[in-house]
Amino acid sequence: MKRFLDKIMLLDLFAGLGITFKHLWKRKVTIQYPEERMEPAHRFRGMFRLDEDRCIKCTLCARDCPIDIIYIDWHQEVNPETEKKEKLLDRFDIDVQRCMFCGLCEEACPTKPKSIWLTTKTYELASYERWENLYVDMEELEGWRVRPEYTDEEVA
Amino acid sequence: MPGVLTALHDSLGATIFYFVLSPALKIAILLILVLTLIAYTTFAERKILGFLQVRTGPNRVGPWGVLQPLADVAKLLVKQDIIPDRAVRWVFVIAPCLVVGPALVIFSVIPFGPSAELSGAFNWFITDVNVGLLFVVAMATVGVYGIILGGWASNNKFSLLGGLRSAAQMISYEVPQGFALVVPLLMAGTLSLTGIVDAQFDQGRWFVFGFFPFGLLAFFIYFVAGVAESNRNPFDLPEAESELVAGFHTEYSGMRFALFFLGEYANMIVISAVAVTLFLGGWHRPFANVEALSFLDLGFLPGGMSSFVWFTLKLLCFLFVYIWFRGTFPRYRFDQLMDLGWKWMIPASLIAVSGTALVKILLA
Amino acid sequence: MTDHEPDSNPQPETLFGVEEMELNFGPQHPATHGVLRLKLTIDGERINDCYPIIGYLHRGTEKLFELHPFFQNVPHTDRMDYVAAATNNLAYVGAVEKLLGMTVPPRARYIRTLLSELQRISSHLLWLATHAIDIGAMTPFFYTFREREQILDMFEEYCGARLTLNCMRPGGQPFDLPVGWVEKVGAFNEAFPEKVDEYEGLLTENRIWKKRTVGIGILPPEVALDYGVTGPMLRGSGIQWDIRKAMPYEAYDEVDFDVPVSYNCDTYDRYLVRMEEMRQSVRIIRQCLEKLPDGPIMAKRPRVLKGPKDSDVYHSVEGPKGEIGFYIVGDGTPNPYRCRVRPPSFYNIEVLPEMVRGGLIADLIAVIGTTDIVLGEVDR
Repeated sequence: MKRFLDKIMLLDLFAGLGITFKHLWKRKVTIQYPEERMEPAHRFRGMFRLDEDRCIKCTLCARDCPIDIIYIDWHQEVNPETEKKEKLLDRFDIDVQRCMFCGLCEEACPTKPKSIWLTTKTYELASYERWENLYVDMEELEGWRVRPEYTDEEVA
Repeated sequence: MPGVLTALHDSLGATIFYFVLSPALKIAILLILVLTLIAYTTFAERKILGFLQVRTGPNRVGPWGVLQPLADVAKLLVKQDIIPDRAVRWVFVIAPCLVVGPALVIFSVIPFGPSAELSGAFNWFITDVNVGLLFVVAMATVGVYGIILGGWASNNKFSLLGGLRSAAQMISYEVPQGFALVVPLLMAGTLSLTGIVDAQFDQGRWFVFGFFPFGLLAFFIYFVAGVAESNRNPFDLPEAESELVAGFHTEYSGMRFALFFLGEYANMIVISAVAVTLFLGGWHRPFANVEALSFLDLGFLPGGMSSFVWFTLKLLCFLFVYIWFRGTFPRYRFDQLMDLGWKWMIPASLIAVSGTALVKILLA
Repeated sequence: MTDHEPDSNPQPETLFGVEEMELNFGPQHPATHGVLRLKLTIDGERINDCYPIIGYLHRGTEKLFELHPFFQNVPHTDRMDYVAAATNNLAYVGAVEKLLGMTVPPRARYIRTLLSELQRISSHLLWLATHAIDIGAMTPFFYTFREREQILDMFEEYCGARLTLNCMRPGGQPFDLPVGWVEKVGAFNEAFPEKVDEYEGLLTENRIWKKRTVGIGILPPEVALDYGVTGPMLRGSGIQWDIRKAMPYEAYDEVDFDVPVSYNCDTYDRYLVRMEEMRQSVRIIRQCLEKLPDGPIMAKRPRVLKGPKDSDVYHSVEGPKGEIGFYIVGDGTPNPYRCRVRPPSFYNIEVLPEMVRGGLIADLIAVIGTTDIVLGEVDR
């Protein structure tokens, strides 16, 4: 009998209507981009940065990259000040077209703190020109600072 | 204001004034109001759908997105007008007009307020046809032509199929709608829409509550058939995006598509307006006969303006329910839709009509 | 891409000489959840035959696996079933560990179970959203994505990415749980069953929903077994087979949960099975959070992982869509010699023609939704 009344009185439809009506009054989940932005987590894997001073040119990151997009060239030179042989970085280019921001290069880096890290919390990599930000070379990598509100200490 | 009108009345003569100038003015004002209402119904739909879905709707254009319909109209006007190569040109052009036109024409018989004697100013309707209800049903039927012609003239077999399906749906739901409209006719005893509104005042209750439960049943059937008539969710398979194609209006672009779109919303508004007039007491305030609630008369508004305000409020409730339905229900499959119309709604409407007639005979 | 013509269908003998039309339900279509192409042979609106044509998303993943050492391949596995990346990772990593004979510490096993179950909820939420919106109900999409955002935020806090997780390594986990993560997951877990009730209130008893899904897309159990269908598709046809119970891996033999099964073989039943699976996932997560042991998260492993010569292994896990399996052949080098993936959606799609034959096109949309395919998996 109850099921018959249910069918006639369309109670299931009214229950559905009630649920959506309740949601009219709830807080909206929209974030008004670009005025408000979501804050990425601490471990968020965004665009990377290179710190050349810390880099020991071991090329472990280039070896570990699943898509082989890190290109490193270095040579040995005698530093005139310290009279010791040391490695100098010629080229450290990353092909951002293919990068999948997996973080394996960061994991491979043996220095503490790491010389290459992905936690710049930058995910807005769009650019207006075709040649920007697609193939990033050493100078750009070091100077990457798209989120100026974060300091180096927070980011590394 | 009345001074200008009496001056015109004296200079032009009573005939021209009452038969040409006055209706022309009313038509102009009504068209402007209705078109604005249609445009803002699209905006309200996006906003309310957004709120039902815990998101804000459009809010960039103007404060709270209020100027969004203007932006939409501007966009549609400057779009390229594509007519398919082998389409029948003149039919292609006329089809959208055939959808919008009849829907707007129905507004000429709907009373928005009391007649001149009661309001003291002028008739709050364009004309009082004594077979107003028949006119409404006839015009609603003419609206189906536009859809069939639009689908056929596109020279696209999927548009044709979509148009045919849409037209079949609209025609099959006109039968229960017509039967449901007979119920207030029986209760009031007149086909004229102003007469029906007055009858609700005289009988002291809205027809939706009359002859319980037949009034309610008739109201419900009328509204659901109305949702199916205007191809809205849950009956919007012919124009659903995730189905085969976009239905009869696939090949239309720019302003022609906008006209189809407007036609759908105009249909929505017309069906709501007719429902308000026939079932919900038209322009009367709630409990029109109860003197104690006469403050609801909004007497501070001039002339019969308060009746117009009440009419609009009731109309807006219906539009909200339309949008609410769209946000909640899944879609019926086409054959289930036709099943529902022919196997359930028609017997139910027949029950409503015969029940009302029986009760009326017994009460007489 | 060669096109194989479907089997020739003789013209039906009718009074009016009706012809069949071949319709291309193309790669670009809002309802096919990716680039799936279906060649339909329709008669009016009835579908007489349906021939899926896949390969539009083929990226050569299995070849890519052969080019890099074992632990570098984990990001590639994310991108197959991009909706449920953690279970893909788990299947691959489990296979590698089996091949190399590594034992995973208990804390890592529990963390992996936790991530898998969170991923299962997230995948089922996406399934519900797209299934409902194909059938016409727009609002569950937004409600489910609100919950999914929270899950993705939790994944972001754990491993840094929301969709392509790369959150497991052969031998254990790369990171430990961040501070406060356990509390967040617990809070989400407690609030989630009400949300499932909300979705059910909108859809389960709704007569329109029932009309669209009851009796549609019938998959008899024998047919399902013949084609190798797994996952909720199989359990909706009455066969109780869940790898988490049959061949337990990670921490599944230490937690208590039920596997929902339903016997009517139609779309509505699969919907009920998946909704109940979400609730059971909540149960598993709660137990994992309670029982989470302390300890190391990475096993002792050599610097370079070399597969033993001439060895092969097959390991499968129960992903949200079915059984994901990896068959890895090692040959003594750090790279796998061959890595073959058993994607569940590939086998589920095979059974699509059986389910839609004789139905209408509107039913086809519902059935594609209930098969829960992800083209990244089908094409790899």
